[in-house]
Amino acid sequence: MIRFVFAVAFAVVAAATPALAAGDTPPVSRGEYLARAGDCVACHSAPGGQAFAGGLRMATPLGVITTTNITPDAETGIGEYSLEDFERAMRRGIAKDGHHLYPAMPYPSYAKLTDADIAALYAYFMREVAPVHQANAPSEMPRLLRQRWPLSIWNALFAPQAGFTPDPTKDASWNRGAYLVEGPGHCGACHTARGWAWQEKALDWHSAAFLAGANLDDWSASNLRRNVATGLGAWSKADIVTFLKTGHNQHATAYGSMSDVIGNSTPYLSDEDLGAIASFLVSLPATHDETAFQYDAASAQALLAGKAEAPGAKVYSAACQSCHLATGAGAPPFMPKLAGNPTVLDPDPASLINVVLNGAAPLLAKGRPDAYRMPQLRQQLNDRQIADVVSFIRGAWGNHAGAVAVEDVAALRARTSPSSDRVVLLRMH
Amino acid sequence: MLARRNFLKASLAASGGLLLTTSFPSARAATLGKAAAEDVALNAYIDIAPSGRVTITAKNPEIGQGVKIMLPMLIAEELDVSWDDVVITQADLDTRYPEQSAGGSQATPRNWLPMRRVGAAGRQMLMAAAAAEWGVPASECGTRPGEVLHAASGRSLSYGTLAAKAAALPVPGLDSVKLKDPKDFRIIGKPTRNIEVPRIVTGQPMFGIDVSVPGMLYAVFQKCDVHGGRLVRSNVAEIRKLPGVRAAFEVKGGRDLRGLLDGVAVVAESWWQANRARQQLDIVWDEGDITGQSSVAFAATAAELAKGKPADILRRDGDVAQGFAKAAHVVEAAYSYPFLSHIDLEPQNCTAHFADGRIEIWAPTQNPAPGSALVSRTLGIPETAIKVHMVRAGGGFGRRLSNDYMVEAAWISKVVGAPVKLVWTREDDMRHDLYRPAGYHHFKAGVDASGRLVAFSDHFVTFREGDAIANSADMPAVEFPARLVENLEYGVSMMRLRAPTGPLRAPRSNGLGFAFQGFLDELAHAAGRDPVAFARDLLGAPRLLPDPPGPRQGPGFDTGRMRGVIDLVAEKSGWGKTALPKGTGMGLAYYFSHLGYFAEVVQASVSPAGEITVDKVWVAGDIGSQIINPLNAENQAQGAALDGIGTALGHGLTIEAGKIVQGNFDTVLPLRMRQAPPVEVHFNVTNHPPTGLGEPALPPAIPALVNAIFAATGKRIRSLPIKDIDLSASA
Amino acid sequence: MSYTIVVNGVQRSADVDGETPLLWVLRDTLDLKGTKFGCGAAQCGACTVHMDGHPTRACQTPIASVGDGRITTIEAIGESSIGRALQEAWIEHDVPQCGYCQAGQIMTAAHLLSQTPKPTDADINEAMSGNLCRCATYTRIRAAIKTAAGKA
Repeated sequence: MIRFVFAVAFAVVAAATPALAAGDTPPVSRGEYLARAGDCVACHSAPGGQAFAGGLRMATPLGVITTTNITPDAETGIGEYSLEDFERAMRRGIAKDGHHLYPAMPYPSYAKLTDADIAALYAYFMREVAPVHQANAPSEMPRLLRQRWPLSIWNALFAPQAGFTPDPTKDASWNRGAYLVEGPGHCGACHTARGWAWQEKALDWHSAAFLAGANLDDWSASNLRRNVATGLGAWSKADIVTFLKTGHNQHATAYGSMSDVIGNSTPYLSDEDLGAIASFLVSLPATHDETAFQYDAASAQALLAGKAEAPGAKVYSAACQSCHLATGAGAPPFMPKLAGNPTVLDPDPASLINVVLNGAAPLLAKGRPDAYRMPQLRQQLNDRQIADVVSFIRGAWGNHAGAVAVEDVAALRARTSPSSDRVVLLRMH
Repeated sequence: MLARRNFLKASLAASGGLLLTTSFPSARAATLGKAAAEDVALNAYIDIAPSGRVTITAKNPEIGQGVKIMLPMLIAEELDVSWDDVVITQADLDTRYPEQSAGGSQATPRNWLPMRRVGAAGRQMLMAAAAAEWGVPASECGTRPGEVLHAASGRSLSYGTLAAKAAALPVPGLDSVKLKDPKDFRIIGKPTRNIEVPRIVTGQPMFGIDVSVPGMLYAVFQKCDVHGGRLVRSNVAEIRKLPGVRAAFEVKGGRDLRGLLDGVAVVAESWWQANRARQQLDIVWDEGDITGQSSVAFAATAAELAKGKPADILRRDGDVAQGFAKAAHVVEAAYSYPFLSHIDLEPQNCTAHFADGRIEIWAPTQNPAPGSALVSRTLGIPETAIKVHMVRAGGGFGRRLSNDYMVEAAWISKVVGAPVKLVWTREDDMRHDLYRPAGYHHFKAGVDASGRLVAFSDHFVTFREGDAIANSADMPAVEFPARLVENLEYGVSMMRLRAPTGPLRAPRSNGLGFAFQGFLDELAHAAGRDPVAFARDLLGAPRLLPDPPGPRQGPGFDTGRMRGVIDLVAEKSGWGKTALPKGTGMGLAYYFSHLGYFAEVVQASVSPAGEITVDKVWVAGDIGSQIINPLNAENQAQGAALDGIGTALGHGLTIEAGKIVQGNFDTVLPLRMRQAPPVEVHFNVTNHPPTGLGEPALPPAIPALVNAIFAATGKRIRSLPIKDIDLSASA
Repeated sequence: MSYTIVVNGVQRSADVDGETPLLWVLRDTLDLKGTKFGCGAAQCGACTVHMDGHPTRACQTPIASVGDGRITTIEAIGESSIGRALQEAWIEHDVPQCGYCQAGQIMTAAHLLSQTPKPTDADINEAMSGNLCRCATYTRIRAAIKTAAGKA
């Protein structure tokens, strides 16, 4: 039986749920639309594998989790799940056989899904997704966590199973945005810092920790709040919509895990929903006062005159300048600017180091890859050179983000792998 | 040398002067023993205009090796004309010319005498024409550049005025023409500039990729990244709707990995549009069986195979087991080298225009004749309906010996019925190459108490394609130090490979040289000997070690010529006489390939952080009696040595699940300016026929570098590329 | 969309998508084939042109970003004394083998000499390492730059 948690919530968010995403043929079902919003395919498919058949190895601080087959195959997938089984897995992280899922499955976020949306997703997976017979691979977790009973304690502590609470003082668009971000979009899974037990420190907008940026899987996911330098404080609602539709805007370009989100999820959402997400994000206050970025032309002048003597400036001239330019202005939306880019200004340099080391996978918006792509530099630059150039970038053109240590580069080099230049298209049909 | 049957013809040229053509059986035809009548092919021509301007046709493809200058130099020398009066034209593929290919450093040895004889015959006819004019015996006539002289009377006539008369005269037999004494050479042996450079430095269109034909469309071709994978289905109908796309279609190819394969062609109004549309292709492939098709699996399998007996014995001299038993020191080591791509800087491309059952092709190819045959077979049109223009190639290195891009362009043009320029991306080029095969060598050798090499064995694990050994993955039974060690055994085992392989500059030698010369350096140290002294002792007295008879019998190995270049490079590099700082060392290697004897010394420094600086390279070569164009010879030798250095440092492909991982120069790292040391080139001029220079300077550079790194650090490098090895003091 | 750019001092128009790299506009729209395609990823330097005098990788320059930047290609570099001196030095030293990279090499070298009239080996290494030469004619490129430096 489905629990009708918050009838009000249902009414508010469902009103904004489009039956179809505009412009798509054939018509997209509500369940497929939600599966897009949740980007289920990104985690539940392996590169080169079939959609939703699982098999992606996800690194967590505790061990490697291999994602599971969620196609309706009776034996290896979720074909035997009833709606109630599905709802319990989605909202509470409990599989049909009663075992607890690892919280890499964002069920604390999915607990906010309305009953109608759960039902729509269930219908989609059961009726529209083709069954794939592919047995789940065991996860590689420490002995204690292979017995899953500790997860029930974790759930009691960190997964409150609260549904979405609309704010009657905000308009429908804001509430729809909050629902999409907190619920199916599970943006906090990457953008909210995690606590000692890997729990997200906040699951909704009431906390200043929510979407304040976090380091996950060696990427520093940006602060999405109104911080004017390190967050989205300088972004208009239109900027946010453009970013989610295309993967870039005048301020920044998606990379790392966000490439998966652009590749499979947000460009497929309706303009109304993207606008709703933007309405919600621009309402999140900054975590603290920041000085707005002020462009300083001195770095560009020195680079252009060949007078930038810092070791990092020389590396920049040789390895970066041809695309990102001496001015650090790049050529948005094709090449991101580095001057004032929130990723560059992030106190955590992990993403900047990571993208220099490993490059970026081709960014796909509705199946069309970007014309230009960041190559990996890990083979051409040593740790010292990368530390120098990242430090230079973080201090040039008015950026004031601080130097990085060669040890940080070495550690990231050891832990990360280069991104492939091959286009990976996850077909949902 | 092959016996040349002479068919020299003279006729009136279009210019009104002498057109001199000659023919002899192609080497292939001669080998097959075919009848002379069908072997007749014209191989070169000279056109002397009444103005005295001499047009010489260069028959071979130009890929940067300088053959477009070198072959005409040979003709011009013996014709005795001023080089300034010579105009060079590039031949198309033409059945009148034999051996229109660029590979194997073959142009010099195969053309040294024939091209000179063509020139000499022309000179003889011009002298005969002058003698008739003056009524004097031809034997009293001589020449100076561009003129026939009659010394006794002090008369002279220019070639231009004699040309038409000469064209009517009987043609001398090519074997009977008198060649110049080399001491009288005016062109051969003189530094001669490449006539193309003024066009190159001003950006004139001259490469294959620059070809433009009216109405031309642009094409890309997407194949399966698992070589030979079959197309199941694609979204090609959606691709047709994309901007600028004029055609998009599936191609069902064959099984020949060097021919037309399955894929999807996208043809658009601009190359950029074609390639952008291609990036939205969604293709389902049947990749076939990719079991074991990864670099990791190959290495593991090779190591496992090495524990057992080789599948085949390539050579067995004496008894290696007994040799090891009586050795004072036995050394074992495993060496390996990776797959390599050719990475010509100009990506593969071809322009083709199919119309009315005929096709015209502009291709930067090293080997046009098989390309024409491939197009004929695949498109089902006779070769007489195919015209191939050889266009300057932006590097070859062996890649353009295959003509896969040519048949793709031809096919696409036929389907769309318009001229089409096909251009591969860098990733296409790296992922659809004919790779230098990886190789795994498991060496064991013994030296006796006096430091003499007494036993040597190699279990070579290599690849097969189908049932046969993969192209360029074999090892000669005479591989050095065979014939010099009393107990020696070479064994071979093979692994199945899906990726196609092929010759890369100094094929076989570019891998074998590294492994054998690296290991021989280990043996010198195990014997407590200086590597130069160890090499001299191993080579022994100057003598010729003949090759075994057979269809591929080579000219043998001259220990004296090898000792000569080792001595020369030791002298020039100051070997053993230079005090080097800590962290700096010199390495020696020597190798015979493509008829050239080369010894090289590399000096390299390694910082405590493990960064390598190659300080200098000394090259000593023996390519016979004549350096035809010293200006280009130095360039080629420097380039080949640096190619070896760059290959050792930064090239290397890995295969995962049947696909090449690397795609561009962010993961394959060719040599850059800051890494390029000065290269000093010296030649030992010896009394042997001149041989080629495109390749033989490359193989020793690689082991000389790793031996230098050992001298600098005490660390042996037994696998490549070096970029993947941690050489820091703490490692 | 139509873009008007200034190439070798002449206004030229190209009706292409804004993302199109300058390289392909030069080669296929404006028929200036001296600028070469080598990697399409700013890794090889074969496509080097000058924008406002600075070496730029045309393969990574979207046409939409050119604006009023003045483009100079190998076809016109000889109009400057430095460019002409470099071309002459390349001929004198017989630098090229296949020649495919040399346009890009000269464009980068021209900027080097404009900034550093008498470059040292270290200056040359630093400036020229973005331009690959697969034939490895580096020794002669170095020599030719020094010869040109004495004459420009």
